[in-house]
Order: sequence, then C-alpha cells, then structure tokens
Amino acid sequence: MFKKFDSRISRRDALKLGVLVTAALGMGLPLSLLTKSAVAQDLGTEQLAFLFDQKKCIGCKLCESACRSANQEARDEQVKWRRVLDNGGDEGEGHFLSISCNHCADPACLTVCPVTAYTKRQDGIVVHNAEKCVGCGYCMYACPYHAPQLSKKTKRVTKCHFCYSRQDQGQQPACVEACPKKALTYGKLSELKKAPGGVATLKGLPSPTITNPSWVIIPKE
Amino acid sequence: MELHWHWLVVIYLFLGGLGAGAYITSFLAEKGFLGKAPSLTRAGYFIATPAVAIGTLMLVFDLGQGFWKPWLMIGLLSNFTSVMSWGVYILSAFILAGFLKCYFAFKNKKAPELLTWAGAFLALCTAAYTGFLISVIKAIPFWNSNIIPVLFVVSALSTGLSATSLLAPLLEKGTYHEGRANQLHLLLVVVEIIVAASFIMVMLNGSNGPIGTESAKLLISGKYQIVFWGLFIVLGLVLPAFIYLQQILSQIKKTGDIPQNITANDVGSAVLAEAAASSKIYGAHSPLMIIGDTGVIIGGFALRMLIVFAALPVWDGFSIY
Repeated sequence: MFKKFDSRISRRDALKLGVLVTAALGMGLPLSLLTKSAVAQDLGTEQLAFLFDQKKCIGCKLCESACRSANQEARDEQVKWRRVLDNGGDEGEGHFLSISCNHCADPACLTVCPVTAYTKRQDGIVVHNAEKCVGCGYCMYACPYHAPQLSKKTKRVTKCHFCYSRQDQGQQPACVEACPKKALTYGKLSELKKAPGGVATLKGLPSPTITNPSWVIIPKE
Repeated sequence: MELHWHWLVVIYLFLGGLGAGAYITSFLAEKGFLGKAPSLTRAGYFIATPAVAIGTLMLVFDLGQGFWKPWLMIGLLSNFTSVMSWGVYILSAFILAGFLKCYFAFKNKKAPELLTWAGAFLALCTAAYTGFLISVIKAIPFWNSNIIPVLFVVSALSTGLSATSLLAPLLEKGTYHEGRANQLHLLLVVVEIIVAASFIMVMLNGSNGPIGTESAKLLISGKYQIVFWGLFIVLGLVLPAFIYLQQILSQIKKTGDIPQNITANDVGSAVLAEAAASSKIYGAHSPLMIIGDTGVIIGGFALRMLIVFAALPVWDGFSIY
C-alpha cells in the first residue's frame, strides 16, 4: 500500500517535473532571447549615426588606419571601410570628408540583397553577414555611397559595421576613438541632428532622399 | 569605385530576353496570332529553355561564390524585397515550364493548355524582370527609369522572334510560311525605335539628373557611339525596319492584299525564289531576312551591353568639392 502510494507520488512528481521542464524550456528559450536582446538594447533602440565636422578635420587619416587595425575584414587591399577624401585644394583651402557606411534608415543594400546577408539592428546599425554573401555585387550598385565593397580575396562583399561588437562592450567605434581633433564623433541621430550647421549631404554627393542616410556633416563653408 | 558587372551579366540579360521572346513567338504562332505560320510554332520552344538556362548559368558563374559554394544559392530565394530574388523564382519556373513545353513540342504532342499559358506568362515575367532588375537601382540614374523594362520587353520579343525565324527554316520540313510575322516584327522594331528615342531624350534632358545625361552622352557621342549608332540603331533597328517593310510591301504586291498564308516563292525577290527552289526539303529564309534577323539579334545584344556598360553611379565615391 505504502509502496503503491509512493510510486503514485513519484509518478505524479515525474509528471509534474515533466510539465515544469517543458514549461521552463518553453518560457526559458524566449526569456533567454529577451535577455540577449536586452543586452543589445543597452545602446538604445534609436538610430545611431556618425557626425563629421569638416571644420575640425585635418586629413590625418588616423580614422582610416584605426578602422583597418580594429577590423580583420577591412584589411583587404582593395577594401576601405572608411575613406578620407579630399577636394585637392591647397593648404588652408582644402577640405576633407571622412566617409564609411551611413547605416541608412532605408538601406538600399538590405532591400536589394537576394540572400538577406544584411540586417538592421535595433540601434540602426546595418550589418553584413559575409557567410551568406554570394558576391553578386547588386548592393554595390544600389548603395550611392559605395560602402559595400567586393574583396578580391574572398569574392564576397564587406562593409563597415560601426564596430558594433566594440559598442556592445561599451567601447567607441575605432575610427571615432582615433580622431585626434574630435572631427568624427557618433551618437543618436536625433541628438546629432541638433548640431548647428549640420546637413545630410554635400555638393556633388548623392541626394539623401535615395536611402535616408544616418549621418550629419558640418560643412566647412 | 569599380563596379563589377561585365560581359557575363550582359549575356545573361540578353539571353533571358531572347529566350522569353522566342517562347512568346511560338506561343503567338501556335495560338494563330501570326496568321497561318506553322513553321514558327515549335522553333521558339526549342530556343527558350536553353537560352534562359545558359544565361542563368552565366549569372551563377558571375557570382563570386556561385561556382565554389553552390549551397549558398538556396539563400537567393530568401529576400522578398529583392528583385534578384524574384528573378530566381521567375527564371526557375520559366526554365521548368519551358522545358516541359519543349518536350511536348519535340514529340509533336499537344501540351496541357495550362502549361502553355503558364509558360507564356512566365516568359513575359522573365523579359520584364531583366529590366526591373536594374530599373529599381536608384543610385544608377541611367537605370532608374520605368522606360527600361518597356525597352527590354520590346527588345526581348523582337530578338526572340528573330531567333525563332532564323531557326525555323532549318528545322521544319516543307514550305516556309511567314504569315504575319513580318508585320509583327516591323511593329516591334518601330515601337523599339520610339521607346529607345524617348529613353535617350529623357536621359539627355536631365530628368534623371546630370549623371543620367552623362551616361546618355557616352552612347550618342562618347566612348560607345560606334556600338550605339552602328550596331544598335542602324544594324539593329533601322535596317531591319526597312527590310521588314520591303518584305510586307512585296507580299502585298504579289497578292494584292495583306497575306495570311504565303509560301516562300511569293515572298520577296527572284533571289529568294531561287533559294527556295534550291532547298526543296527544308523551307527557305530570304537572304535579306537573314540579314534583318541577324541585325536585330546583334542590336539586342548591343542594347544590353550599352545599358550595363554606360551605368555611371550617382556619385563616383571619390570626388568632393
């Protein structure tokens, strides 16, 4: 009798345990996903952006080299995630533009990519997954800023990811950290837009209506 | 910045259009829209699938990873906002439908109506897709025009009709019947001239910005002027237009009416009559028509080449002012 009771309890316990385990698994999986995304959300759900102050830039290209040393994938010879361009003007008259991916609000690369290699994070960072990339080059035509570039070595596209893993660890993007003049900074787009004199394009650059880029430029003149 | 679509993509866009147009040619002939033209009812089906399949293969070779990591190709179906993904669905379905239709045509069996119509619909989608693929790219002003898909569809039908007309006499025994094919072809070529002219005008007048104008100038007076005027306009459009017109006029002269069903002996000059007489088993195609059809095909290829090669990005990626 006692034995029977015991076994009944244990059977019930086993059932309970089963239900509990199932419930824990059922709840736990989404929970763990939630906590994971909560970590990523620490940076906020607002679009991040670069701010480039043309008045402060001296064209030292430290942002370019910092990008290269921080990111293995950006070390390919043909590839330059961040580029410092100059207008060829003489000293004093010359000005520069430091440009990488603008992590656009309407990223054309993400829209056209046939293999969904691009994803846009909650903080607006557009990340390219090289594992999925087939190297069709469609995004290179779609992006007006030439951010996606084809690596001749891997025959895959590669692109600036705003140093999201550094950001997730609380660090600054490598290019921003390297800038000695604080000409290149970053933050929430809505905040950066308040910068006096800030614009979304320069003469000769693509119209911001194409992709709605997340960057602010303070022009020299 | 270097963009990397070159010859393989040109061939892909060209063969995609030609294959789709060939299917539609035989479809129209089969349904009686080309008058009594029994010689055109099968040849197009034989061209369609191989042309589109070879074109697709070109694209796979062009992908940096296509040849080395074929399993990544599955991913091509994953983005529903990407016109290239639509293309993979359309092309796969068309290659399959075209292959089945080709089998029935080869066996001289009646194919299910649903298959025949589905193939025709997919052929139209294929032809239009090659245009939409590039017309949605806003960063290339020369491509970002609704005229591109129209131009590509008309050119697809025209090159497909030419390829079918060239193959048919080699394939079909008995007398070669042209039916209303010449009239359709004249119409297509004239429409293509109008559409191409509108496209160049729109680009030149700066509606798509200064870079679009720059691209158009590469065609009419720049680097590609010989290909544009020589191969596309003269050889591919104007000369064929005169040839098809001459053929129609001589048909009318012979019969006193617009012909529904005429033999090769009725068509064209004495040269043609001779050619027809010399090939009793197989049908004949007038030498003039061979020149016209070949011209259309070369012109169609030149068009794809011009559109792909003259694509200048809205910003070069270097210049600031």
